[in-house]
Amino acid sequence: MTGFLVKRLLQALVVLFLVTIIVFLLLHSLPGGPARAILGPKGTPQQIAHFNEVQGYDDPLPVQYADYLVRLVHGDLGQSYKLNESVSSLLGQRLPKTLILTVLSTVVAVVVAVPLGLLQAVRRGRPADYILTALAFLAYATPVFFLGLIFIIVFSQAIPLFPAEAPQGTSIGSIFSGFSGMVLPIVTMAFGIIAMFSRYMRSATLDNLTEEYVRTATAKGQSSRRILARHVLRNALIPLVTLLGLYLPTLFSGALVVESMFNYPGMGLLFWNAAQGSDFPVLLGVTLVVGVATVVGSLVTDIVYALLDPRIRSVS
Amino acid sequence: MSEPLLSVDDLHVEIASRERTVHALAGVSLDLAPGEALGVVGESGSGKTMTALGVLGLLPSGGSITRGSVRFDGEDLVAGGEKRLQDVRGNTIGVVFQDPLTSLNPTMTIGAQVAEPLLLHRDISKKEAFARAQEMLGLVGMPQPAERMRNYPHQLSGGMRQRVAIAMALVCEPKLLIADEPTTALDVTTQHQILELVDDLRSRLGMAMILVTHDLGVIANRVDRVAVMYAGKIAERAGVRSLFRAPRHRYTEALFSALPEKAVVGATELRTIPGLPPNLALPQHGCRFAARCAFATDACRETEPELLGDDHAFACFHPVPPQQADPLADVVPGEERHAPALASGTPLLEIAGLRKDFPLSGGPFARSRGTVSAVGGVNLTVRKGETFGVVGESGCGKTTIGRMVAGLEDPTSGSITFEGQDLATMSRSRRRAHRRRIQLMFQDSTAAMDPRMRVGAILREPLVIQGVGDRAEQERIVAELLDAVGLPRGAVDRCPHEFSGGQRQRLGLARALTLSPELIVADEPVSALDVSVQAQILNLMRDLQRDRGLTYLFISHDLAVIRYLADTVGVMYLGKLVECGPADEVYEHPLHPYTRGLLDTVNVPDPERLDDTRKPLGGETPSAAAPPSGCRFRTRCPLAQDICARAEPAVTTPLGGTHQVACHFPLVEGTRAAAA
Repeated sequence: MTGFLVKRLLQALVVLFLVTIIVFLLLHSLPGGPARAILGPKGTPQQIAHFNEVQGYDDPLPVQYADYLVRLVHGDLGQSYKLNESVSSLLGQRLPKTLILTVLSTVVAVVVAVPLGLLQAVRRGRPADYILTALAFLAYATPVFFLGLIFIIVFSQAIPLFPAEAPQGTSIGSIFSGFSGMVLPIVTMAFGIIAMFSRYMRSATLDNLTEEYVRTATAKGQSSRRILARHVLRNALIPLVTLLGLYLPTLFSGALVVESMFNYPGMGLLFWNAAQGSDFPVLLGVTLVVGVATVVGSLVTDIVYALLDPRIRSVS
Repeated sequence: MSEPLLSVDDLHVEIASRERTVHALAGVSLDLAPGEALGVVGESGSGKTMTALGVLGLLPSGGSITRGSVRFDGEDLVAGGEKRLQDVRGNTIGVVFQDPLTSLNPTMTIGAQVAEPLLLHRDISKKEAFARAQEMLGLVGMPQPAERMRNYPHQLSGGMRQRVAIAMALVCEPKLLIADEPTTALDVTTQHQILELVDDLRSRLGMAMILVTHDLGVIANRVDRVAVMYAGKIAERAGVRSLFRAPRHRYTEALFSALPEKAVVGATELRTIPGLPPNLALPQHGCRFAARCAFATDACRETEPELLGDDHAFACFHPVPPQQADPLADVVPGEERHAPALASGTPLLEIAGLRKDFPLSGGPFARSRGTVSAVGGVNLTVRKGETFGVVGESGCGKTTIGRMVAGLEDPTSGSITFEGQDLATMSRSRRRAHRRRIQLMFQDSTAAMDPRMRVGAILREPLVIQGVGDRAEQERIVAELLDAVGLPRGAVDRCPHEFSGGQRQRLGLARALTLSPELIVADEPVSALDVSVQAQILNLMRDLQRDRGLTYLFISHDLAVIRYLADTVGVMYLGKLVECGPADEVYEHPLHPYTRGLLDTVNVPDPERLDDTRKPLGGETPSAAAPPSGCRFRTRCPLAQDICARAEPAVTTPLGGTHQVACHFPLVEGTRAAAA
């Protein structure tokens, strides 16, 4: 197991290094370079030359890359062109907010989707299965903004249970102190995830229920409830783990629609605004974070796989 | 008989799916005394598994008991409902299933799985349960049980996993063990060890047993009584000796005479049972075997015969006369077995120093972790027109040889020469054209065919690829092929899944024959088939060989099938050809201790041939990733000495002729003694 972890970590580092190269090259593949993009078509050649000199864009590429790496290692992701703030401090504000929203909604989704999927598999072909399937497809097909609007109208205006705006404080403590404001954003976001995860859980459970080890478990005299909990659940969770691993980068890149709907400035809004305003250091910072999240996501998937499935553990 | 332990009365089982309802069991009745062993035999779909598992309500989804009762230990299990069944399952009745690879939970430790029935049925602590489980693992012959408790199923070999399954079934010391094809997925030597173990434990714990199998050899020496099932009913029920000595039902009789073991004795063609079992989704009238029975009369087709008789019961209007001792006596002698191709025939295929190593890879950043030596230097010659049988247990490299001969795999070293031409030195285009001369036949022909293509297209495809004739010509060839393998010409418009197992194997043969090859590599072509269908395919292969002058490289684990079909036999062990020679000589006077052991291990379908001089093989085949030094068999060989570990034995012919053996101590003495 330790050898497996070390090997996977080394692989992840190699991939991360490649990610920085790609991110760096992206910056330089812009037509006319970043200066033209920032200063616009009206920028004079003098202005551009000055910009390039200040930003170090006139050095040879490898030198620039080395500088970029050195700065990166020191946590310096550059300065936002538009917001007059360092990228790292921007990320420092936005990332925790986004993570609170996305991680909580994913946790809610998993907690709801796993039992739902199990229930549907056990009741396969009966009314409960059909109704839940229909609901899952409906939730899957409903646009997030529409769902959010309905929730706001119903649970904030018709029945004023929760505020329609997320907590506005920037500290984590203030977000949790005004937690009722987080309910609607989390539920809105969780809905689509529940729909997707419960479908996966249902089919994985069905696959496992037809496995012969389930018949062996029955032959030992166990109730079907116990078989589901003791034997099927763990095996059926394996595909869901893949899904979660693939989902992790999405958690970091934020949920633009939910964030703007509930006025909750997180990574999604940050990225959107930066893209609109050609704020490259910010764009690159976000891309790097998502890249890291992707790599970490697959790393975590592998580790959880190994925990769940002893066959993978022993191969490595 | 004392009060029966288990009494099944008039059991009816239906399996409903969306399209149809199959009447899997139509009134099955049987009794089992405490401590008694009952064998249930039959072909696939006969209802043997359904009977055994129906006792515990372990039916497939959609299955239900529609009528009848199951009384176990004085209690009606059908009426008792699910709760009652849960008390009995794993507690007073233990079950062992067929496939030890899939019937264990892959993510639970062995210890937890074996201890589970105890935790369910006994009021003991987890610690006690685990201690008891470990004891049980020792009892089923698991080496280092304490260590194994923490292992997961994938870390064990197939035989060891089946031991775990047995430990699981017996840990609560049940009164009845139901074993559903417990050894079908295992190799011959492992099979023997498992059956011995079950025998031993049964007498030690005094359990009764129901042994379900399709293999007549397995039950011949293991049970007291036998029930022969056909199409959801019991056709015949008798003591094992009386059944094997004088079967009364015409189906049982036909089944026995379709065994390859029987044909070898008379050197005749196998007797086959024409046609297929009835479709149980349709209502049945009369005797269910009537349509395939040579003795059927109108009465058989109209009235259903009842199972009559006490000790030897059978459901047949025209039974085999009781005085007839030999079931083969009234069988019309088949055609004389064709003379084996003479050793002087010209060589078609010559294999020299053939090796194949598969790398053990550890991912893109890891170095290779050694190799698996699948084939470790094999020499053999296949002569024109003969059948060369390659026999060995799983992992011995027989399939890899077949794949290399067919050009699907490149050898690591060594040469394959076909009619004087070395395959390795051929140019790409020559090689492609050459492929038509060697064709493959697979164990599972359906898996080897595109499920969305129609049979006509599948059979025509090789002709199209090799550019043989125009479309009309190709269709004519396909029609002739279908005639040759005994399928209707209308088959061209159907898809592979519409055919039964035997018909698919005919298709597989037709596909292999499309390009009129000279050599057919047949890899376990009859292993998935029932005895009666297996006989049809083997006879067909023989007839086609005679008519078309085909040469077969026939790969199988089944010694009886090889013996029936092959002229020359090569015995493989762990990538090495240990013995090779004319089939009769190899079987009559095996020179290699492995061959001897293999022949002693095989289950002979004859309860009278219990013989104490047999020395079955023990142990397990070592890993091909680290084969033993010197002679690869030495770790299991009763004759092994120091030299066997030091030097690889050279191939010799101690009896002269073409009978070769690779052993430091070939069994020449024993042979002479036996001959004298």
